[in-house]
Amino acid sequence: MGIRIALAGNPNSGKTTLFNVLTGSNQYVGNWPGVTVEKKEGTIKKYPDVTVIDLPGIYSLSPYTLEEVVSRDFLVGERPDVILNIVDGTNIERNLYLTTQLMELGIPVVVAVNMMDIVRKNGDEIKIDALSKSLGCRIVEISALRGTGINEAVDAAIDAATAGVKPTPAHTFSGVVEHALAHIEEAALHDMPSEQQRWYAIKLFERDKKVIEQLKLSDEVIAHIEEDIRAAETELDDDSESIITNERYIYISNILKNSYKKKNAGKLSTSEKIDRIVTNRFLALPIFALVMVAVYYIAVTSVGTIVTDFTNEVLFGKWIMPGVASLLKSAGAADWVISLVVDGIIGGISAPIGFAPQMAVLFFLLSFLEDCGYMARVAFIMDKLFRRFGLSGKSFIPLLVSSGCGVPGIMATRTIENEKDRRLTMITTTMIPCGAKLPVIALIAGAIMGGSWWMAPLMYFVGIAGVIVSCVILKKTKMFSGDPAPFIMELPQYHLPSIKNMLIHVWDRVWHFLKKAGTVLFLCCVVMWLLVTLGFEDGKFGIVAQENSIMSIIGGVISPIFIPLGFGFWQAVAASLSGFFAKEAVVSTIAIFVGLVDLGQEDPELWGAVMALFPSAVAAVSFLVFNLLNSPCIAAVTTLSREMNSRKWTVFALVYQNVFAYVVSLMIYQFGSIITGDVSFGIGTVGAIIVLSVMVYLIFRKAPIKRMSAKKSNPARAS
Amino acid sequence: MLAFIVDNIATIAVCLILTGIAGAIIARMVIDRKKGVSSCGCGCSSCPMSSACHQKK
Repeated sequence: MGIRIALAGNPNSGKTTLFNVLTGSNQYVGNWPGVTVEKKEGTIKKYPDVTVIDLPGIYSLSPYTLEEVVSRDFLVGERPDVILNIVDGTNIERNLYLTTQLMELGIPVVVAVNMMDIVRKNGDEIKIDALSKSLGCRIVEISALRGTGINEAVDAAIDAATAGVKPTPAHTFSGVVEHALAHIEEAALHDMPSEQQRWYAIKLFERDKKVIEQLKLSDEVIAHIEEDIRAAETELDDDSESIITNERYIYISNILKNSYKKKNAGKLSTSEKIDRIVTNRFLALPIFALVMVAVYYIAVTSVGTIVTDFTNEVLFGKWIMPGVASLLKSAGAADWVISLVVDGIIGGISAPIGFAPQMAVLFFLLSFLEDCGYMARVAFIMDKLFRRFGLSGKSFIPLLVSSGCGVPGIMATRTIENEKDRRLTMITTTMIPCGAKLPVIALIAGAIMGGSWWMAPLMYFVGIAGVIVSCVILKKTKMFSGDPAPFIMELPQYHLPSIKNMLIHVWDRVWHFLKKAGTVLFLCCVVMWLLVTLGFEDGKFGIVAQENSIMSIIGGVISPIFIPLGFGFWQAVAASLSGFFAKEAVVSTIAIFVGLVDLGQEDPELWGAVMALFPSAVAAVSFLVFNLLNSPCIAAVTTLSREMNSRKWTVFALVYQNVFAYVVSLMIYQFGSIITGDVSFGIGTVGAIIVLSVMVYLIFRKAPIKRMSAKKSNPARAS
Repeated sequence: MLAFIVDNIATIAVCLILTGIAGAIIARMVIDRKKGVSSCGCGCSSCPMSSACHQKK
């Protein structure tokens, strides 16, 4: 029989839940050809010859986003036998917009109103028969999560596919528009099958570029159609796309009057009441700042520190390291082997592991904020701020993801349609401190400020500031100029997240961090110990003092570059280089240098030993900021290279990140040291002033590209 | 030779163990890379982009 059912609907309408219920393990997951959008196809368990294609979630069939283009290319090009349109019953008005468009394709449509259990729980009422009559298609009630109505939906879809009836949309536009559409059909589409003409006519009326290209219309026909469109626009005093959009919503509003009753119509829901405060134009940003400060305070200072103290002071400091050293000594192992195992491996790995409790608390709190729905509001709040700097709130979502890990943060940029904005976001997203950078922050904060809780949130905001400054500067260049894309986002209802799910996710993150410590960091520590312990002394190669080691030679070659930044010594360079493999390795490397065998985290000698590496507190902060803003770990760089899909842009990203980190650290050290009196005015200060001046100019200059665009678009006006 | 081994048995044993561990780690990393498993080390069940990394056939 071979029936193909396409699942279409808004994001979060329950398509994938339904798809998984229908197909079970009989599914294939890949990518749509030529794009990174996921393609899911499967066969229904009960009907092996019925294929289900799960289309990407879309709000409309416009040509603006990759997901929309992929969906409509499939629907128009491959013409499945039936479309099963999943409509979220709790947001029916917005979901029906896509339904009206699907009805115009000339493909049989069955609407499955999902989440009916929640609709009934809310006390709302949907009159299915009335709605079905108004839309002109069969409607079925389902709850994909609860598994109700699924069989009826599948049977309805198969019936519609096998009936062979060409659907006629019940929706008509105003007389002026219908007149124009009839002219367009006659002028340009008379050779096309009749059931397909309407959709193409509407798209031509909207001046859809992709459809115009696809139909290869002659200039004469295009000019003829344009007359009809202009006439309608003049009469209705609006542009053609807006006319169609408005009329669709008017139609939806009219049909819902008779078929949908909301229990608390006109009243604010609990989520809406909370949003009045949380997304308030004046309070939103301060509330966000307070929330992040509270998150880092709880994670770094209170709960996390208690467990971290035990991990470092007792577990590693008093039990494991002395125990292993004693065991190896009694077994007769050589001193260098004991040093490798205890100082190098255990000492190096224990340092970042000591911060794992703080990371766990941080992940738990961030997970709570995300799952309860607050982080969605943050993206909405940030849209207004980011728009001033040329980006939209869509670019903030990868930054939110990057606060956990930079790899998914970079991948999350796939949702940004504008290629320039996408590249810009990829370059800047890893400036946000990820989970792996928390140990670095905690170590330096502990060394210079006695474990001050405010260093961690401060570094988070330094990351955001770095993103904003970079966006302002780069958006004014030809490479990245352009208007920000419109940002539409669904705000989920606030809800208490499942503690069990949150704990599972936190445990997954912590477990993978411990696995990383036991693998990548293990190798880093062994290599670093060898490089720091072996070298040439008195013409012989062997175990030497750190100052004569191979690492000191390598670091010594590069370190002069960092003298103006306050950490022009080989140990800092070695630690920064090790951060390329894993940011936690910065802590491991420093731990190897200072020899954490006998020291616990709260031992004042430890902080003294770490501080002894740096000439001043400002130099330590400069080192910290450099390692936060510079290029990320190799896993993130690999992902960046893959997502950029261009060697030129990958190199540009890496160069920019490191140069930006360098100049910011330069200014922090030079100006900070002048203020604290650690250094006097000198050539480094002059360099910092020049750098600051250039940066201020780049931030505040007028965008030269906008002036070029004005000339290009209206030469008569420009001259 | 035998005397050297006997005198340094603990050192040799530890070195062999460490070499074995390092070798196993490197082998696992190479296998994971060939399979296309990401080396991000962040855990997949909690990752918002896990569906983009993992393709089921």
